[in-house]
Amino acid sequence: MLKAAHSLGIVFFPAFDWALSPTHPEREERLLYTQDQLEEEGVFDIEGIAEVKPLVADVADVERVHFTFPETELVTTRSHLVAAGGAMRAAQLVLSGARDKAFALVRPPGHHAMKSVHGTRGFCAINNEAIMIEHVRETHGARRIAVVDTDCHHGDGTQDIYWHDPDVLFISLHQDGRTLYPGTGFPAECGGPKARGRTINIPLPPQTGDEGFLMVIERVVRPILDDFKPELVINSAGQDNHFTDPITDMNVTARGYGRLNELLNPDIAVLEGGYSIQGALPYVNLAIVLAMAGLDYSGVVEPDLEPARVRQSNRTTEYVKRLCGELPRLYFNPPPDTSLTRENGYFVRRKEIFYDTDNIRETQMEFLRDCEHCPGFLRLETRSNRVPLSLGIEAPVGVCGACAEEARRQFEDAQLKGGFRYAQLIDRVNKIYQRIGF
Amino acid sequence: MQWGMLLGIDVGGTHTDAVVIDESGIAASCKVPTEHGNLLASVESVIDCVCRQVPAAEIERLNLSTTLTTNAIVEGKTEEVGVLAVGGPGIDPTDFMLCRHFHALSGAIDHRGQLIRPMKESELAAAVAACRKDGIRAYAAVSKFSPRNPGMENRMAEVIGEAADVVTRGHALTGRLNFPRRLATAYFNSAIWRLFNDFADAVGKSLRRLGLSAARVNILKADGGTMPLSMAREMPVESILSGPAASIMGIISMCDIVHDSIILDIGGTTTDIAIFAKGAPLMEPDGIAIGSHPTLVRSLLTRSIGVGGDSALSVLAEEVRVGPQRPGPAMAAGGGHPTLIDACNHLGLAGHGDIARSRAGIERFAADHSLKPEELAQRAVDAAVGRIRDEVRAMVKEVNERPVYTIHELLEGRRIVPSKIYIMGGPAEVLKMPIFKAFSLSVSVPQSYAVANAVGAALTRTTRSVELFADTEQLRLHIPTLGVSRVIEPDYDLEAARRDAARSLLSFMRAEGVPSREENVEITQASSFNMVEGGRLVGRNIRVKCQIRPGILHRYKELLGRLC
Ligand SMILES: [Zn+2]
Ligand SMILES: [Zn+2]
Repeated sequence: MLKAAHSLGIVFFPAFDWALSPTHPEREERLLYTQDQLEEEGVFDIEGIAEVKPLVADVADVERVHFTFPETELVTTRSHLVAAGGAMRAAQLVLSGARDKAFALVRPPGHHAMKSVHGTRGFCAINNEAIMIEHVRETHGARRIAVVDTDCHHGDGTQDIYWHDPDVLFISLHQDGRTLYPGTGFPAECGGPKARGRTINIPLPPQTGDEGFLMVIERVVRPILDDFKPELVINSAGQDNHFTDPITDMNVTARGYGRLNELLNPDIAVLEGGYSIQGALPYVNLAIVLAMAGLDYSGVVEPDLEPARVRQSNRTTEYVKRLCGELPRLYFNPPPDTSLTRENGYFVRRKEIFYDTDNIRETQMEFLRDCEHCPGFLRLETRSNRVPLSLGIEAPVGVCGACAEEARRQFEDAQLKGGFRYAQLIDRVNKIYQRIGF
Repeated sequence: MQWGMLLGIDVGGTHTDAVVIDESGIAASCKVPTEHGNLLASVESVIDCVCRQVPAAEIERLNLSTTLTTNAIVEGKTEEVGVLAVGGPGIDPTDFMLCRHFHALSGAIDHRGQLIRPMKESELAAAVAACRKDGIRAYAAVSKFSPRNPGMENRMAEVIGEAADVVTRGHALTGRLNFPRRLATAYFNSAIWRLFNDFADAVGKSLRRLGLSAARVNILKADGGTMPLSMAREMPVESILSGPAASIMGIISMCDIVHDSIILDIGGTTTDIAIFAKGAPLMEPDGIAIGSHPTLVRSLLTRSIGVGGDSALSVLAEEVRVGPQRPGPAMAAGGGHPTLIDACNHLGLAGHGDIARSRAGIERFAADHSLKPEELAQRAVDAAVGRIRDEVRAMVKEVNERPVYTIHELLEGRRIVPSKIYIMGGPAEVLKMPIFKAFSLSVSVPQSYAVANAVGAALTRTTRSVELFADTEQLRLHIPTLGVSRVIEPDYDLEAARRDAARSLLSFMRAEGVPSREENVEITQASSFNMVEGGRLVGRNIRVKCQIRPGILHRYKELLGRLC
């Protein structure tokens, strides 16, 4: 009988009664064949592997991470709270010591959801990984965390949330933004002024195969992780690099995904995208499960795999090699950000965000306090075609007392003077969470 | 007399029990020691015994629960089986090698039942030839995803052909997924097939000799239901581990259980625990395990812990414990070491056997550990009841934490909250009060608990479950265990599937000569998924599971509650 080398908890929640719309890729059927495959393989009978029910995130879990406008209840559905709760359950299994590793096979995904949420973009409303990480930081104390986003799309939401956080390393591997949604994720995007080198983007050319992905993991991701020494490694696991995925153009196989997870050795994996629900998901998810449990995944070969068709070109190999040579310095010796604007002691950015799923356009002004003692607190002024000018203020984990004080003062000031339709305060130092305006 | 009488026999580890039931209740009952090497003799002698109380000719049905197949497996007295396994993508089938004659063949079927790589006929022929050379006459043929496409298993059976006395095809046993479990289930089915059939022949002869030739014979299953002997001859694996189910069905037939409840069957060395939700017994999610092999044999959910009336007391690091050892009978029954029953005797809870010996034993044992005798006895009873309570709580928690797959079930799903406890078995009456105190729940001890197992065997109805799988893109419908595979129209829908599953099940049962009532057919799962390609609806993937649920025979319903 099989026995897992690493005990593994699988939070499997296919949400068989929820879809974005009847024919949307994010529909009831998405994890059906994955469930069939895992059941038929007898995965849950393997000694050391257990299936676990998700938690349900509550509004407080969401509002520890996101500024939500007009309110959390209006930008989320119950399925979002269950997906985030599934990720939280995965982390709980690992941090309590109940399991060596955990895989949250949940939907819908979350990695395109940014700090400020006005609606749904890239099928995501709230960021499952970030809600999990902040839950962990609040309840278990772990602080230093690495997120490796292996979805084919740039994890722009997770990047946005941790842009200024020097304790969270975010690495995204994805199909080059010049050829795919959301069109971002270039090496030059490598973290805010107080967290330079803590965001690493690795854009790969279309049709990159197993070879290129694994080369990047070995030559770029592994050395950076070994240096950063995180307390937890999280794989933000999109299955859309698969050669059968209908909305992307990459050539990774199920065994490639298995090997990737073996090399990456994540403590927790959380499902992101992946919409080849028959040809890819059953096999990729099985390979990841086996690899995380330390079992042989070499037999997970897709029925329609033709090795010659998924082999990457020499040109791609050369390109990826060059990339592997250049990218590590972004972490080890990050360049200064020359585009920065600094006004009255704040770093200022203006951002335009488009919500493709909900057709919303958001405009933000972001102010980060340039503090010599800490990473600084964040002030975000935002408006969209749905929500009038609103305010979010966050004193993140690790911020100094003076910054936390100033954050709260500005929030109170906004209440007195008005001018904002909604305002939300996230004070992680004093654990004060407030909203006004409704 | 309106109807014939029902005879229920439970061949247990130590005793073989029999009851004869007519419409007024228990008409006869007997208990004989089980003869291990010769279960048939135990069956004959217990029939002989009841037939001295009622006329043999009036017995119209015999329901038999036996440890025959379970024992054979535990003792390794099974037949060599040739296992032919077709894997496909995923875990290597040789990881589940169950026996010497295990042959993994290439070929693959996917999750939708599509043939993606044909089986290699040359490999199949070579495997059969190798088994034949070693004199194998029993086979198991199993492929991954066979419930979605039984083609390969059928082809394997065809090629084995005359070389075999039995070929168990995985999909014929169950339509549920789980390849390793299906392999083990098919393997065990073939491994005990001959033994069971020989036993069935012998039982038939005995019944004729004893004047019961008119009686229809049913065999008890672990799910609490029965199967006709004709079916059992093909699926003997369904007869394993039916003992606990007999007792549970006994409680159901004696007491009218309607709430979430706990059933405790407290024996000499073990306590079996079962859980009822709204009066219906809970099932194992996938199937029962035979030794270290999980199978797809449907079973009531039961747990067994090593606490019983004859469990020995021990003191370890000032902690008083009960069980799991059983060095011998209680001191009250002439044993040499104090047991739970002796502690109960000492406390005045029980009056079993030689109370003076119990008292003396407890006093001496207490002195050895510098405890007061009353304290030792009380702590022993508390420890025993405490272990039962902890196990029950863990079980209820596990049931409430079972995975679900819809938001509706996750957020609005029903939780089990037991409100009543039923106890049976030798020490039941004695432990009634301590258990009441430990759980603070109402506790019942049915009057005839000593023969509950045989009553359960006698009164339980025939059960069967089927799984229907329809794919309107491939225009195909399968009901694997009934051998149904037919073409459907593109507009086939969930309603039609529910109806077809229930109808097929009922007509199959009636064809087998089992009168089954429509109201006992229950759809346990029904789902229909839109299949979309390129943003366009291309069909529906429909799955329905339906069963004749375990319960007591309709015409004896009025007995409910009267024996409680
Ligand atoms: Zn994606
Ligand atoms: Zn500061």
